[in-house]
Amino acid sequence: MAEMVKLFVNGQEVEVEAGKNLIDALQVVGIEIPHFCYHPALGADGNCRMCLVGIEDGRPPLVPACKTPAQPGMKVLLEDEKIKKIQRDIMELELINHPVDCPVCDQAGECTLQDYYMSYSQQDSRMNVEQVHKDKRLDFGCGVVHDQERCVLCARCVRFTRQITKTGELGIVNRSDQARVTIFPGRPLANRYALNIVDICPVGAMTSKDFRFRQRVWFLQKDPGICHGCSTGCNIYIDHHREKYGDDVIYRFRARTNLQVNGYFICDAGRLSYKTENENRQDRTLVDGVEVPLERGIEAALDKLNRARKPLMLVSPDSTLEQLWAIKRIATLYGAVLSGYSDAYVLAGDGDDYLISDDKAANRAGLQLLDIDSGKESFAAALADADLLVNFNNDLFFSPGNEDLQEALEATDQVSVCSHDRPAFSRATVILPCASYSEYGGSIVNRNNVLQRFARAVCRDADPCDIIEITRLLGGAISDNARAWPGLRQSVPALSRIWPERIPVEGVTLNSSEETHVGA
Amino acid sequence: MSDRSQLLATGKSFAFDAETDAEFERLAARYPIRESMIMPALWLAQQQQGWISAETIEYVAERVGTYPAKVFELATFYTMYHLRPVGTYHICVCRTLSCYLRDKQEIVDFLADEAGIRPGQVSDDGRFSLEEVECLGHCGSAPVVQINGEFYEDMNVEKLRALLTTLA
Repeated sequence: MAEMVKLFVNGQEVEVEAGKNLIDALQVVGIEIPHFCYHPALGADGNCRMCLVGIEDGRPPLVPACKTPAQPGMKVLLEDEKIKKIQRDIMELELINHPVDCPVCDQAGECTLQDYYMSYSQQDSRMNVEQVHKDKRLDFGCGVVHDQERCVLCARCVRFTRQITKTGELGIVNRSDQARVTIFPGRPLANRYALNIVDICPVGAMTSKDFRFRQRVWFLQKDPGICHGCSTGCNIYIDHHREKYGDDVIYRFRARTNLQVNGYFICDAGRLSYKTENENRQDRTLVDGVEVPLERGIEAALDKLNRARKPLMLVSPDSTLEQLWAIKRIATLYGAVLSGYSDAYVLAGDGDDYLISDDKAANRAGLQLLDIDSGKESFAAALADADLLVNFNNDLFFSPGNEDLQEALEATDQVSVCSHDRPAFSRATVILPCASYSEYGGSIVNRNNVLQRFARAVCRDADPCDIIEITRLLGGAISDNARAWPGLRQSVPALSRIWPERIPVEGVTLNSSEETHVGA
Repeated sequence: MSDRSQLLATGKSFAFDAETDAEFERLAARYPIRESMIMPALWLAQQQQGWISAETIEYVAERVGTYPAKVFELATFYTMYHLRPVGTYHICVCRTLSCYLRDKQEIVDFLADEAGIRPGQVSDDGRFSLEEVECLGHCGSAPVVQINGEFYEDMNVEKLRALLTTLA
């Protein structure tokens, strides 16, 4: 635990973490200090002046809270006519040249300027001269669109490109009321994290080309999730919405803060991977190419499994621990060889030293924990020997490299349990649709051995079954996530003291779990 | 202040000549932080070329070892950097508070009407260019005009008209 100090806010005593700046420290105890430019990932800049507070100890009458560390006995003044006037004045300045085009602005509903106007301003404009006009709809590259007129010049975006991506594409040019954010001519944004700029922009100046004008944010249901784009396991918000008479559709992913895993940001590829959840889904049960009800598909699969002499089951490195366990159990039931071969999910050299991993599988560490053989040779040998392959959503052709297996795959009868319509699954004689990661919950282990739990977010009309339910229909004993855990605890030493409902939101590092979770 | 963000490109790459290069390296040794060299480097480039083009900014960024966007910021912030070729006589009229209140606009209007140059422009014969600039630090004798670096204080239209006739 961090050291705590007692200080006074408007005369009331509160206990906060020592050393943190006043904005962060007081936020924990529910006291908001308004600010535009401060962001915990980017540090205090002190340019917006919105966070000015009074400290009654003889120092200058007002100090920026973002640059003032919490100290014992400090007397912070927020509810004061002088402070409120400053906040009103800053808001008036910010709005002098702002177009106030909220009805057509994508940020409306999650805009700091809007919220602060209601909380700290609520004044009529006194301006009777023409506003300064600047450029709109500037394409900054990487799907970021900029509106200079909505900008409050907090420089979060500029600092992001200098401090986080270290690419420095953005700058604030000119001065006074002509100041504006721009790129150097001919050098647009070129980094793999650029869309975070849209998240950190407190106003509607930076919008996402992908998301803009597609949905009003107040209609979106914002559920926490975990990105399955790679093995980093970044925390996200899954923003989805069911239109009247329409299906539940995901509109965007946004970064969700988890200092243990991804900090405040996610990569652009992960952010845009929501499209994969919406598109090209396998929703129909097919037997020999003919659509049938799920029960008929299960019957056909059961028939094949019962007659197979040497079945082979292939699991996906994206599947949760619970799903893997359920499949492992039915593999034992049918005497099947179990493989987690998934080299195709590794794109060597694609990762960086920040958030993006080479390995595009979300739960490879989990696969290894369950001791499931993932070698190519053993899989190829088993495939040559097998008379039935049951593929649980493992896309063998996720990337090139498995063409040599093509012949053996074609020679083997296949049952595919799959969430998407992909070449790796389409050759199967029985195709059973299953849910994708936004439609089920479970636990996964990331590249740094952090075990994280996520819940179901989306309920599409097609509502395909979780893989666990498919294994149950195929005769397995595991019917839901909870029932997988006694077995997981018993057979996997690293999980022996894990109770999924007690996994904290930021996840738990498995190596240290024995110390931190003893009898928790 | 006008919008200075539309840079001109010459289409030719820029580089310091031998003399400027030597001066750059001499100054660079003074600064513990390399980025402090952005402003002297821009000034050297302007002395060499007379103004600062898009290519100059890219060159300065590379020489200093920083982002072009950062050099772009500084070059547009300070009006002492010319982002267009200037006339033989570059006239700066202060537009900040004291000069504003002491009728700098009359001077700007006079230059527009009689000399035919507006802020940011060069006269057709190439003799004069005009820029409205931020405070020149002579508020006690406002309004102030600066021509090729020389200050002319307590200016008015009559004095400026007389002054312009003396310029060759």
